[in-house]
Amino acid sequence: MLEVSGLSVDYVLDRGSVRAVDDVSFTLERGEFLGIVGESGCGKSTLLFAVAQLLAPPAVVADGSVKFEGTNLVGLTDGQLSAIRWRDMSVVMQSAMNALNPVKSIGAQFKDAMRAHGKPSKQEIAARSAEVLRMVGIDPVHLKSYPHQLSGGMRQRSMIAMAMLFTPDLVIMDEPTSALDVVAQRSLMVQIKELQLSYGFAVIFVTHDMSLISHFSDRLMVMYAGQVDELGATRAVFDNPLHPYTQGLLEAFPSIHGPRVPLKGIPGNPPDMARLPAGCRFHTRCPLAVERCSQVAPDLYQIDDALVRCLRRQDGSLSSPQQGSLSR
Amino acid sequence: MAMPVAGVPTETPAGQLPAGRALARVARAVRSSRKATVGTVLMVIFILIALFPGVIAHDSPTVDAYAPRLPVSTAHLLGTNAYGQDLFSQVVWGTRNVLIIAFAVGVAATGIAVLIGVAAAYLGGWWDNVLNVLTDVLLVIPLLPLLIIIAAYAHGASTGVMITAITVTSWSYTARQLRSQALTLRSRDFLEAARVRGERRLYVIVMEVIPTMTSLIVAAFLTNALYAVLLSSSLQFIGLGDPNTVSWGTTLYWAQNNAALQTGEPLWAIAPGACIAVLGAAFALLNYAFDEIGNPALRPVRKVRQKKGAK
Amino acid sequence: MTELLRTEHLTRHFKIGGMLSRRMLHAVDDVNFTIGEREIVALAGESGSGKSTIARVLARIYKPTAGEIYFQGNPVSRIRSRPDALRYSGLVPMVFQDPFASMNPVLRVQHGVLRSLKLHRPELSGQQRAEEAARVFEAVGLGADMLERFPYELSGGQRQRVGFAQALAMRPKLILADEPVSMLDVSIRIGLLNLMAELRDKTGVSVLYITHDIASARYVADRLIVMYAGQIAETGPVDDVLANPRHPYTQLLLSAVPDPRAPMSTAGEADRGEPPKVIDPTPGCRFRYRCPLAIDTCAQVTPVLAELLPGHDAACHVAQSARGGAEQVKAFT
Repeated sequence: MLEVSGLSVDYVLDRGSVRAVDDVSFTLERGEFLGIVGESGCGKSTLLFAVAQLLAPPAVVADGSVKFEGTNLVGLTDGQLSAIRWRDMSVVMQSAMNALNPVKSIGAQFKDAMRAHGKPSKQEIAARSAEVLRMVGIDPVHLKSYPHQLSGGMRQRSMIAMAMLFTPDLVIMDEPTSALDVVAQRSLMVQIKELQLSYGFAVIFVTHDMSLISHFSDRLMVMYAGQVDELGATRAVFDNPLHPYTQGLLEAFPSIHGPRVPLKGIPGNPPDMARLPAGCRFHTRCPLAVERCSQVAPDLYQIDDALVRCLRRQDGSLSSPQQGSLSR
Repeated sequence: MAMPVAGVPTETPAGQLPAGRALARVARAVRSSRKATVGTVLMVIFILIALFPGVIAHDSPTVDAYAPRLPVSTAHLLGTNAYGQDLFSQVVWGTRNVLIIAFAVGVAATGIAVLIGVAAAYLGGWWDNVLNVLTDVLLVIPLLPLLIIIAAYAHGASTGVMITAITVTSWSYTARQLRSQALTLRSRDFLEAARVRGERRLYVIVMEVIPTMTSLIVAAFLTNALYAVLLSSSLQFIGLGDPNTVSWGTTLYWAQNNAALQTGEPLWAIAPGACIAVLGAAFALLNYAFDEIGNPALRPVRKVRQKKGAK
Repeated sequence: MTELLRTEHLTRHFKIGGMLSRRMLHAVDDVNFTIGEREIVALAGESGSGKSTIARVLARIYKPTAGEIYFQGNPVSRIRSRPDALRYSGLVPMVFQDPFASMNPVLRVQHGVLRSLKLHRPELSGQQRAEEAARVFEAVGLGADMLERFPYELSGGQRQRVGFAQALAMRPKLILADEPVSMLDVSIRIGLLNLMAELRDKTGVSVLYITHDIASARYVADRLIVMYAGQIAETGPVDDVLANPRHPYTQLLLSAVPDPRAPMSTAGEADRGEPPKVIDPTPGCRFRYRCPLAIDTCAQVTPVLAELLPGHDAACHVAQSARGGAEQVKAFT
């Protein structure tokens, strides 16, 4: 349904371009839940905006295509895009307070969205608005409420309701739970999953919280420094992480259960995208790096059903599982 | 929306750089923005004219030594007016008066605005209320009647009187702007951090708050200076200034008195008017330019061709 | 454990509404806890639980509405003179949550450290201050070459380390860390949590670690205080509280924390996670609206903290009545 090929996004600045997303490719089937994880600066949000065609200058798509149900979205005009927007593909942002209009009631914003993509009658608007609110578990009386009158969790739910107005085939979500507390977060994720299973839409979910996404996504994509470092079935990635970065990330989440062990995290900082290290972008922080890693930039390599970007995996010098190797 | 990429700063800090580095940055910024370049060039030209008027215009502006109503010639680049004074030297010498007023009001009004606006925002509470009342009262005092009264008593407002009057009635506008900006900063963690480590309030205002507002303060200066140029010229034009000073506004005044446009001496009115407009434009361009330097998000976006088609 | 700080009936209310309104937001109500020397105490709760307000009251940004704080045995409310206030703020400094907003963007990063030294250790000369600044930077894992940089040149993790350096420069006894890692990348958090433990071990400083992330609290803290709606729900040694949670709210929190190694718990799944804004509350347990075990008493009498296991207290009528607390009631497990 969605086929991203060789997508690259550049930020065009005075002193030259910086490539924030480098040659990313993946496909998405109908009803599939894809999680994209990575830390700040890895390009996951930029990638998301590029797929949704919401990039603003100075960011531009430098290369590649985004084929949504056969049509390449890159290069379409706003007019052509608006036919797809919200009807077939909708977006849920990170912070409802930033995305919702603070001076309009929720109902008014739903009305705006519906009018922007069709010509519904007043009754249709009212009926559908109430229906989507019920879908996310909010009493339709809140159509009259303003965003600041709702709790954080309810605001995020109304964002999702708005995204569901036309029951799209694809919903793109950019860290919709990161502003919420843990109980609200779980509740929202469960709601999203329920909706997804009921209505069968696909989801691309960007987050920095691997533990959270582990229970809900079908496949998981790990990004680092603008590239895809690992892509595979969620359970497989967790049980048997192939890339040292994925391993490091997994081990950076202290656990509630089990014994207390000292953790090391991943030393160093993510690279400056304008001054990337030679060879593998992760090698300066990788405890398993060898000399070749600083010379040759690895490509994505297939191992069983997963893809990984690591020289040592590619040549077989790394055997799995590598449990406990990072937290010596 | 800001989508920061690791390593790309989204905010350019101002102030507190060693002088050499700061100058280099300013020079680069001026060269990179067309508005800044044009504005700076214009401003430099005007400043040079104001500093060395005798070098450019060899005649005295006040002595009516020539035949009246002479047309444009190489001896008189703008001709002479009805009194036989060389118009070109009038305009050139007038620059000094205008710029003095502009910079004096700029500095004074901005200085007061910074003190009162930032103090009101940071001190809050009772202080904020008192200072706000003061600001608002002065905001609504009508300048013209005030100046008419002053002019009546001073028999024509001299430059000093004009500077004072314009300053007193114009600082409140930018004070409000600076107060709003300072209010947004008030809850910023770094100010709370300063308080928590034990800094005195005055220290926080002067050493922590104001340095983060330099671009706004520069903008306030340019706004006040521009306003002073236009206002002082208008006041002189309607006769409230000292008609014997050499200034663009007074030249306009005399031109109006002698119905210059109707009697076939259009340059008498147009020349000073054009100068006011160009100087005003220079200030405005510099204002835009500083906005762009301070906030990279406002810079003009160069159109980039996207690669068409799939790979 | 030598007592360093103790709060008694600490309360902080905020007036809300317009000038004529008399409604009070009960941000913190009747909170009693102690912090000992050389320990890390985690204060955990969701937004609106009052944890950040407590930090600000302890930092003397707010004055308590009622109750008292005792620091090294002395009541904090008696601090009046500037030297006393300065001394307290040097012994109990605060590290802020947002690494991007907690530093002045136009000043170099050493500015805060140098000012801290100037204000709190005036006996040092300029040269000594510079040396001390380099020393505290190294102590938090930053090179001395970072002193002259500007905040935008540092990463989020590095900026937070500068925040700790500023606190360290004052030779504190207790660092109030208000969600110091929440805005950092996951792989960087561990580094800072390890730093906090290292500071405790090497310099003997205590840390009040305020967080909404129970997992990180478990990783770094010695004791845990769980807050709900302005009151303490449960407190005790961290492993004990997390292994045997007595208060239903603690159980709910634990069930909601995602653990990739175990399937998502369905206990309390229906709970939407919307803690109340406590405005002019009536007596009774504030958690009763969400608690599956609520009984009549819960609506009438506000529960107080009572010791259920050694060192482990919970404020819940049902938990307290279950065989003196020895038995664990299961609300969300």
